[in-house]
Amino acid sequence: MLSASRHRQSRTSSARSVLVIKLVVAAVVLALVLAFPALAPDPFVLSVGVVIASYAALAVAWNFVGGLTGYISLGHAAYSGLGGYGTALLVTEAGVNPWLSMVVAAVLVGVAAVPIGIASLRVRGASFVIVSIALVLILLLVAQSWAGVTGGSNGLRVPRPFGTDVLRPEQHERFFYLFVGLTLVALALWWVIDRSRLGTGLKAIREDEDKAQALGVPTFTYKLVVFVVSAFFTAMAGGMYALWFGSLDPIFQFSILTGSYLVLMSLLGGVRSLLGPVVGAVIVGYAVEFFKNQYGDTQLHLVALGLLLALVVLFMPDGVIPWLTSQLDRFRPSSTSIREVDAAQLAEERKALEEAKS
Amino acid sequence: MSSTPIKHSLETEKLTKSFGGVRAVDEATVSFQEGRINALIGPNGSGKTTFFNCVTGMIRPDSGTVTYRGRDVTGHAPHRIARAGLGRSFQLCRIFPRMTVLDNVLAGVRSAGVVHRLRGAHNPDDIARARELLARVGIEHLERSEARDISYGQQKLLELAGVLMAEPDTIMLDEPAGGVNPALIGRIATLVRELNAEGRTFIIVEHNMELVMSLSHHVVVFDRGRPIASGAPADMQNDPRVLEAYLGV
Repeated sequence: MLSASRHRQSRTSSARSVLVIKLVVAAVVLALVLAFPALAPDPFVLSVGVVIASYAALAVAWNFVGGLTGYISLGHAAYSGLGGYGTALLVTEAGVNPWLSMVVAAVLVGVAAVPIGIASLRVRGASFVIVSIALVLILLLVAQSWAGVTGGSNGLRVPRPFGTDVLRPEQHERFFYLFVGLTLVALALWWVIDRSRLGTGLKAIREDEDKAQALGVPTFTYKLVVFVVSAFFTAMAGGMYALWFGSLDPIFQFSILTGSYLVLMSLLGGVRSLLGPVVGAVIVGYAVEFFKNQYGDTQLHLVALGLLLALVVLFMPDGVIPWLTSQLDRFRPSSTSIREVDAAQLAEERKALEEAKS
Repeated sequence: MSSTPIKHSLETEKLTKSFGGVRAVDEATVSFQEGRINALIGPNGSGKTTFFNCVTGMIRPDSGTVTYRGRDVTGHAPHRIARAGLGRSFQLCRIFPRMTVLDNVLAGVRSAGVVHRLRGAHNPDDIARARELLARVGIEHLERSEARDISYGQQKLLELAGVLMAEPDTIMLDEPAGGVNPALIGRIATLVRELNAEGRTFIIVEHNMELVMSLSHHVVVFDRGRPIASGAPADMQNDPRVLEAYLGV
């Protein structure tokens, strides 16, 4: 028993030091992120930063469903698009305050996600992926055809939320912080859910849904809850994007490509880790902008991203963060949890303890 | 808890389930005794696992009723049946492979209400209970390992610990001795006896006749989707209907 309690003690102290390291790293990274607008050399780089921050918010929102339940949605653009159009229409048609419009639109999308979730979460695996694609394609057709409301293929203009005295670079800066803030709120909620009993139930669903049910986990309700939360945050990010970008085009708003980017980002960073989607968003977001810059209007940037996805699946199936963690673990003493302690080791430990006392 | 003693833990009335033209469970009317170790035996393909799945809500029966401790649970969702107190294991041991051994057990915690569900999964009360159960099945030293890394026998024990975490009154085990070494079979048998002595009812599907005969108090024999005989283990061993079903004599 002595050794067991000592192991537990040493585990707690090592867990504490890991926590301290994590907090320090998080503080440094956050400081760098917040300093980014000041460090950005020109407005273009700053605008790329805003795009990446918006991807981070979207990817973290996607990860409520993708990471926690393992249900892969390729159609999350449906919710960001609806959030964007909802915000735009509330501002232009109803004259509602832009920020209030963004929140109201996101709440409405969350409400709409209830029946959508009830219908689509009945199927698992590949069928769920296809259903999620179907929704975004339907919305694309609706947005293109219903020109009286959505502006059709001509798009919809969204007035800027800040006054005309706020110049473009300053606007980028403000939206950068807004997207970072939204991402942080979504991350905080993901963290709370991940650590909760709800989170354990959700992860059980990800691993084996039938088994989870047999243990008494109300799987359908759990899935629906995170589905709605995910749709809400996705719509918030979509609404914020509409206010920043100032115009909406159905082709880009309801694009399967957006959903695919979110899947790629989360897989790349690691769906099981809190910051996985953020890391993925930074890498993929930067790569998208870089490839577009390199290859111009061609579709080669898609080929490059396809290659990136293939490399991730081949060499880092769990994502960058778990891969890095496992690399770092090589330098740490081996875990004591599954090591059987034999009499000699126990004697040695006792001796060391005695020596320490004397 | 009802004040009147309940004689039957689980009863089915004309339970039927077909897959295409095959009647896997055919108007099965069965009852299992409360507080005892019941065994459900029968040749391969006699419908035992389908019966299990119908009873626990994994498959919706075509017709018939399932009553658990006097409550009609026919067609209820599996999690509702589990929460009514009927726990189960699976034929091919099912655990959550990418979760730690400890989290596998914690997944069985009974939750009610939003606040309760948002409570940290790693709270001292739940962890203490989970460790107690892991110690009981003898794998407490593995709590931090991923469940996929432990041996098959250990996974069987882990599955049992997870089922126990959900505090079931009745535990249905689908082939607990399947693919397990003899020493471990002995350990599982001892655990079942101890848990039964504490008041838990067992319903066990098993092909290991030695285990069935030594462990169970009551045996139900299935053939072609319905019970053909039931009674004390010794009687079943010599019952001509049972011999016919098994040996075709």
